[in-house]
Amino acid sequence: MSADQMKLGAFLMAGGHHIAAWRHPDAHADAGVDISHFIQLAQTAERAKFDMIFIEDAAAIRERNPEIASQAARSTSFEPLSLLAALAVNTSHIGLVATASTTYNEPYGLARTFAALDQLSGGRAGWNLVTSASDLEAENFVSSGLRPHGQRYERAEEFAEAATAVWDSVDDGAYILDAERDIYADPAKLHPVDHRGTHFIVTGVLDSRRSPQGRPLMVQAGASDVGKDLAARTADVVFSAAQTMGEAQAFYADVKARLAKFGRQADDLKIMPGVSPIVGETESEARAKYDALQELIPDQVGVALLASYLSLKDLSAHPLDGPLPDMPQTDGIQSRQQLIIDLGRRENLSIRQLARHFAGARGHWQLIGTPVQIADALEERFRCKAADGFNVMPPLFPTGLDDFVRLVVPELQRRGLFRTEYEGRTLRENLGVRTPARSSSAERTA
Amino acid sequence: MMHIGLSLTPFGHYPTAWRAKDGQLDALDFSHMAAQVKQAEAGGLDFVLLADSFGQRPHDDLSPLAVPFEPTMLVSALATATRRIGLIATAATHQHEPYNLARRFASLDLIGDGRTGWNVIGSGDPERDREYLAVVSGLWDSWEDDAFVYDKAQGRFFEPDKMHVLNHKGAHFAVRGPLNVNPSPQGRPVISHVLTPGTLDIAARADVVFLPETTPDTWKALAASLVEHLAALGRQRQDVRLLANIVPSISTAADIADQMQEQAKAAGLDGFVLLPPSAPEGVASFVDEVVPELRRRGVFRHAYDATTLRGHLDLPRPARLERAS
Ligand SMILES: Cc1cc2nc3c(=O)[nH]c(=O)nc-3n(C[C@H](O)[C@H](O)[C@H](O)COP(=O)(O)O)c2cc1C
Repeated sequence: MSADQMKLGAFLMAGGHHIAAWRHPDAHADAGVDISHFIQLAQTAERAKFDMIFIEDAAAIRERNPEIASQAARSTSFEPLSLLAALAVNTSHIGLVATASTTYNEPYGLARTFAALDQLSGGRAGWNLVTSASDLEAENFVSSGLRPHGQRYERAEEFAEAATAVWDSVDDGAYILDAERDIYADPAKLHPVDHRGTHFIVTGVLDSRRSPQGRPLMVQAGASDVGKDLAARTADVVFSAAQTMGEAQAFYADVKARLAKFGRQADDLKIMPGVSPIVGETESEARAKYDALQELIPDQVGVALLASYLSLKDLSAHPLDGPLPDMPQTDGIQSRQQLIIDLGRRENLSIRQLARHFAGARGHWQLIGTPVQIADALEERFRCKAADGFNVMPPLFPTGLDDFVRLVVPELQRRGLFRTEYEGRTLRENLGVRTPARSSSAERTA
Repeated sequence: MMHIGLSLTPFGHYPTAWRAKDGQLDALDFSHMAAQVKQAEAGGLDFVLLADSFGQRPHDDLSPLAVPFEPTMLVSALATATRRIGLIATAATHQHEPYNLARRFASLDLIGDGRTGWNVIGSGDPERDREYLAVVSGLWDSWEDDAFVYDKAQGRFFEPDKMHVLNHKGAHFAVRGPLNVNPSPQGRPVISHVLTPGTLDIAARADVVFLPETTPDTWKALAASLVEHLAALGRQRQDVRLLANIVPSISTAADIADQMQEQAKAAGLDGFVLLPPSAPEGVASFVDEVVPELRRRGVFRHAYDATTLRGHLDLPRPARLERAS
């Protein structure tokens, strides 16, 4: 039954995913500091039976130039784990996935923090594991600059292993509170970690009961070879950013094929690409909503974002209404860079037009149309092995999520493509992924 | 006026208190912790204090004398379940990067609308901890109170000259900043610390100082050293709130109120942290019996008149970091 149904995540962000969302008349400009705004969004997604909400993260502001940063809403936000702890006690079924870095945290501390989220939510916590690629983040932690990609992933791999050992250090039913025998926690069900690796020494037991879902859900969004391998080894869910059907199918096949290497089945891991839907009752209404948002993008912000996607320091020396300058074709050239260059040439777009095109959905798959058109597109990708579900990125909050919930979700439900009731209580139960028993490490230490 | 906080535990402060709750695992649930905090809020208490034994406890000792999982997460959840009471979480400087810690508490302070405090556990290295506290305070001062203007028409989300990059480069930490969280509704989260002879340095930078469990004479001596350390930083005794533990044992409300008033006077205390021998019963009896007695004597508030933790503690908004530019 559930294999025929797609999974849905609601990727929350203060005013919306569109870079200029905060300027829209429907946006609460101070949504980023308003906890009731987030509670309302989480409850909306829960009423629609979404599998999870997702919060991204960077441990830094995102734009170095204050003038450009000050024209966008992305410099400040709630810290994801504290935000989700607050949402946990204001929801009952929806999964709560927070991003956290393995480069700037320690395994025991982060593991116990996610364990706390699992206690607060009754087993609905998830961790999007990232290795933090930005210089601005590195500068908040070390004087030596951003560590190389390979080193970050080596640390991430050991981090995931140590965190898992911490979660596995307490069995189900370890706390017994047996007054007669004066036993608070049964020592036979506690398995102190003794991890001595290259990057970490971790000892002790978890400071809370075992997660109601075994362990917090593991999420990953790596796109590199090592990133995809780490996902295939450790993740239950993979987020991705794929524009075309071809890209999405190739990514899907690639990651699923890696699972066998780690003794896992194709079903053990769900792939959920991002999608930014702009829904209208009619196509022209949807188009008008899109245009209204695009109009609000400050040129400086759009161009700075375009430059960052092209891995260029600056594009501001070039006329806004002219074409992209010629760029050196280095071997480092990334697929996203090439995609932008090709599109500019093919459709003869100016820098301003390209900037607006990419700034809107920040490089994710964008769908503009009626509920039927959007459901068709999602169904096609779901049926053609391009996705097990989608991470929905409404351009505008709360109205963009409301539109999707009111118009698209019922259409998906009508087609039998999405649940009408939650199957279980924990995130793992609803997603249909394994609830790990504390067995592997029990065998190890036994 | 006295300031009173509650030290939150699932079962109470007697090490064997849990034995009265044979098999009652739900005492470890959020709803049971929240019920105690709501009770403390109904009594108008200044704050609850969440201790953290992480890092100190032996391998397999899961003693229930601290909250049953990571305290900052519990504070966040409690913030949406309460409206007025302050929420202080313990966190150790050697277990968080300063940027992460400053960010977590700044975020909590937005969620709780200015009701958050950080109870500092030091690393044992005074020089490192001094630098740590300077970095955290500096990060909390990244944004001026009126930096965020949300000017939709002009496309100006914040005033760029009201954002301050810290650019800290010290012996222990390199932190560029700014903090990626909006400024605190109470200026900065409240800082508290349990005073020991070895950590006067941290205490002298705190807003609330907890005296360890000793005799009133030792309290006096510690308080005197604290005043010296405060003076060295240009601060005065009245800039901090000095609180000692009170364990209300089985006696009348009048006896407990007498004891509190006498100790406060003898040692120059501003108030107490309540350590109920058993919970939730001990919280209920304090709120139902001792609080009314203290009110009758005119030494405790009848209702909250402030909205932030700084407000409850009668502490002014902190002066912002002085800046070169
Ligand atoms: C939907 C999605 C969400 C992501 N969220 C974050 C995030 O919150 N923080 C972060 O540092 N990286 C985030 N990333 C980046 C990925 O974790 C990953 O680093 C990136 O896709 C590049 O892959 P690589 O790390 O294997 O090189 C996200 C990626 C995607 C597709």
